[in-house]
Amino acid sequence: MSEWEPKIVSFLCNWCSYGAADLTGVSRMQYPPNIRVVRIPCTGRMSPKFALAALREGADAVWVSG
Amino acid sequence: MVTFKLNGKTVQGEEGQYILQVAEKYGVEIPTLCHHKALEPAGMCRLCTVELFDGRRSRFVTACNYPIWDGMEINTDSEAVHQGRKLIIELLLARCPNVPVLQKLAAKYGIQEPRFKKEEDDCILCGLCTRMCEKMGNSAISLTGRGVEMSVDTPFHVQSDICMACGACASVCPTGHITLEKIAREITKKKATLIPSEYDMGLKGRKPVYVPYAQAVPNTPAIDRDVCMHFKTGGCKVCTEFCGVNAIDHSMKDEIIELEVGAIILAPGFQPFDPSRFDNYDYANHPNVITAMEFERVLSASGPTGGHLVRISDHKEPKKIAWFQCVGSRDTNKCDNAYCSSVCCMYAIKEAVIAKEHAEYDLDCAVFYMDMRTHGKDFERFYNRAKDDHGIRFLRSRVHSVTPISGSDDLEIRYVSESGEAKTEIFDMIVLSVGLETPPETIALANKLGIALTPGNFARTTTFQPVATSKEGIFVCGAFQGPRDIPQAVVDSSAASASAGEMLSSARNTETKEKEVIPETNVAGDRPRIGVFVCKCGINIAGVVNVPQVRDYAATLPYVEYVSDNLYSCSQDTQDSMADIIKSKNLNRVVVAACTPKTHEPLFQETLLNAGLNKYLFEMVNIRNQDSWVHKNNPALATEKAKDLVRMGVSKVALMQPLKEAELQVNQTGLVIGGGISGMISARSLANQGYETHLVERDSKLGGQALNLYRTAKGEDVQKELAILIEDVTKNDKIHVHLNTTLSSVEGFVGNFKTNISSNGESQSIEHGIAVVATGATSLVPTEYGYGKDKRILTSLELDRKLIEKDTALKDIESAVFIQCVGSREPERPYCSRVCCTHSIDNALELKKLNPDMNVYVLYRDIRTYGEREYLYMEAREAGVIFIRYSLGKKPVVELTDGKIFITVTDHVLGIPLRIETDLITLASAIVPYRDEKLAQFFKVPLNDDGMFVEKHAKLGPSEFATDGVFLCGLAHYPKPIEESIAQGQAAASRAVTLLSRKTIHTSGTVAKVDPAICSSCGVCVSICPYSAPSFIDASARMFPGKAQINAVLCKGCGLCVASCRSGALHLQGFDNDQIFSQIFALSEAG
Repeated sequence: MSEWEPKIVSFLCNWCSYGAADLTGVSRMQYPPNIRVVRIPCTGRMSPKFALAALREGADAVWVSG
Repeated sequence: MVTFKLNGKTVQGEEGQYILQVAEKYGVEIPTLCHHKALEPAGMCRLCTVELFDGRRSRFVTACNYPIWDGMEINTDSEAVHQGRKLIIELLLARCPNVPVLQKLAAKYGIQEPRFKKEEDDCILCGLCTRMCEKMGNSAISLTGRGVEMSVDTPFHVQSDICMACGACASVCPTGHITLEKIAREITKKKATLIPSEYDMGLKGRKPVYVPYAQAVPNTPAIDRDVCMHFKTGGCKVCTEFCGVNAIDHSMKDEIIELEVGAIILAPGFQPFDPSRFDNYDYANHPNVITAMEFERVLSASGPTGGHLVRISDHKEPKKIAWFQCVGSRDTNKCDNAYCSSVCCMYAIKEAVIAKEHAEYDLDCAVFYMDMRTHGKDFERFYNRAKDDHGIRFLRSRVHSVTPISGSDDLEIRYVSESGEAKTEIFDMIVLSVGLETPPETIALANKLGIALTPGNFARTTTFQPVATSKEGIFVCGAFQGPRDIPQAVVDSSAASASAGEMLSSARNTETKEKEVIPETNVAGDRPRIGVFVCKCGINIAGVVNVPQVRDYAATLPYVEYVSDNLYSCSQDTQDSMADIIKSKNLNRVVVAACTPKTHEPLFQETLLNAGLNKYLFEMVNIRNQDSWVHKNNPALATEKAKDLVRMGVSKVALMQPLKEAELQVNQTGLVIGGGISGMISARSLANQGYETHLVERDSKLGGQALNLYRTAKGEDVQKELAILIEDVTKNDKIHVHLNTTLSSVEGFVGNFKTNISSNGESQSIEHGIAVVATGATSLVPTEYGYGKDKRILTSLELDRKLIEKDTALKDIESAVFIQCVGSREPERPYCSRVCCTHSIDNALELKKLNPDMNVYVLYRDIRTYGEREYLYMEAREAGVIFIRYSLGKKPVVELTDGKIFITVTDHVLGIPLRIETDLITLASAIVPYRDEKLAQFFKVPLNDDGMFVEKHAKLGPSEFATDGVFLCGLAHYPKPIEESIAQGQAAASRAVTLLSRKTIHTSGTVAKVDPAICSSCGVCVSICPYSAPSFIDASARMFPGKAQINAVLCKGCGLCVASCRSGALHLQGFDNDQIFSQIFALSEAG
């Protein structure tokens, strides 16, 4: 059996977390490639529907950061 | 072109190329240990042996140095090749059984143990080092000896004079035979050390070709000519072999560029004090005694320890860390820096708090200090939290010495406690809170420019022109103006630009160039034609992500009409060709898969504009910062992620619509609220830069709190200078002064405010583009220390009044007492009023001058004479002013008995109460803000718990509000002395002019929009928006009365209203529901 890998969808605020994710790259920190980022202008934009839709599309986890 | 067969496939290479080079191009892997792209191949390690068939027979050749020819057939993976390679590896492993790279190869080829006799060598004699040394233009080492005696060595096995210790040999050695230590020990006579990384404060090395730090702007590597071998020997140039775009030109020369300018602003900064000369702290010798700047790097995730809090000597997690304050500051004994460096108390507390947060165990942090100087906005609260919540120990003592404990890397410190006892304590690590000083090259620059310096070697300025140097037209900001923190440096930089702007306002816009605008193509109703450009970013992306695969994948996605990959998408030539492609392929949507939109979206949007496309028909896919850089060891999954992200980007961009950016006229008039010093300065600066300005003052005269002040810390007469300023303002025909006036209403937004002011019952409406809030603060009326019960008990301002009026009774006083922190740094007012220590000390000196026999006492908690104000404190002590410290729990007690005033305070040295009979008590009463909630509501700007206005950003936006077009200065922001109020007044004007000078402003297209037909008028958007962008359409309007509407100018595009809208009437353009859902639906390929 192959090892299960989670699929994580993250909604990142353009002004903080998205910038932090960029800086993670600039600093060459390493993390597993299981995350797909959706950039949103502010976590204020986050709607519960987005999280539900992502889960319905097969995401194992939704991460909102801002 | 040479055509031949490689593993059965027809391939092509250039005449003169070797097999290995062509194989690399076609992605065929051939193992090698002695090959280097920049060096002539030598065929030494034999690992790259391949099978060559010349039409008649097969033979084995080394791929690295066998030139290609037409019709040859090469097999890199036949059984014979495999067997031969295995034998070579086995032989190499037998020679060097402990070399990791060989062990790895052996494992790959299934070799358990070599069949041959094992030796203890670690050199495979590949000669890479000697060829590299030759390439460096040096030849300090070569292969010497014959047969089994052969080795890499210097001539006659003596340490070389020729070797320059560049380390190139070590950098290419595949086995680790040559190391920096070996070079130092056996090869060179010179000192072999790493090139210290300036950014990592020498805790790490860096290369001669380097980017100073990850966030450097421009983020382009530079060659350090002082260490680059090419500039020493004429050799090397290896970097040019690796640069894909031939960007490296070693022949570039320094150029002298002459600029004609009207003003100069000096911002050369400071250097941290070098504590090497303090032998009692052992900094020069002990790795665990570091400076605070070095500790910053230890705490940093990108630092030498990767953000792990470990000490330098043994990488052990420290259990106890001590900070020593005032190293290189307030010290005329071990160094000549008598001034206070202003920032060290705060950064030491910050470091201690962060260190505690980093440590997952109970870390003991102790700060050894003389006076705790947390005089900035919200700093006192931070100090209190560090003490009370984080448990950081604060010990008032100057540490005598540090002694390494033999047999360990720990350090013992000796100090005298507050009660006078000699103590010792052991720490794992010592951080020296080094001060700020002006570097010698800046002093040389100042001398060259002919500007005067202060005793501390900072640029000399005056209180009333805080950013002007002694030479007209030369301004200064930042730490060269005096040691200061970020917010103050930001204020001063804006002030300097305003000062230059006032001088040069007549030349404004005379050297600007207009950009040609390309007409926008109408794409409404057109089927999406998407172009996808995948960037390799050199090897930054292509080194991990399989870019051709991503590109080809993109071509299969719906509506994609064009795909390509670029080496560097951001280069000017690629930009030009992208614009051509957009036009020639008739593309109407563009996706760039490259770095991050945070830095590069505007650049590519510019390319769209140049191709006549609306810039919002664009989506950027982040496959570098959030993919190739963070999944370096997982190229396959990184490529899959890139494909997913491109698919999500393509599905979103198909739904993007052209957006309009509203253009808005900026009313060229300013409104300044408050006629104190900062308000007047702001108004004068705006007027001098050519803008009509209304100055509103609630009082009957201009001047504000400055009217009460006697003199500045630099000795200037405040009333004289104030009178000049008031005359300047009243005589300026661009400034309209409104006295006895208050605001009754404010409407509008940035560029178009309409404010009603009322004066003595008369009302007037002012239209203005910007507003400056300079409403000031007042002095606390003390309720303690007998204030109000005896006319000999005064506030600082009342004493100033007596000094202004030259009260002759003052000099007959025998004893005067100043009590500090009256109402400041108390639980109900947990902030420092910043100015009182300097003010009281200056007045104490003045009293001493009036009557040198007078006994003058200052009762204080911490003396906060920051910067060069410290000289006054020294002078006061020398003049015999007696300083007695008290604590918050043991305040001085004032008694009024028989017409006499007695004050009792416990002396901090003797520990016993002193009773002083006095003729004058001066209370340094707190500066209290007006808590102007009405004004805050008018301009939708926030107040903090203390009632002060909250600026846009504590560090980077101190003179403006988050609300566009509204600016802030003076005491309304935070207590501050005159020079800082003036600088901030200029800074507010400077920030305002950035808007006014534009005449028109464009709003972002990414704003909310209402579909009024669906709107239910519930009002959630109106109440929820932090920027007041939504409102109800007037009930009497013909169209959609009572429905919501969005003011695009105020909207920041956060989308809060959109997410909150219950009826789905709100849309965030550029991030609309369908667009975000399309990304979510494209998460997996099936979707």
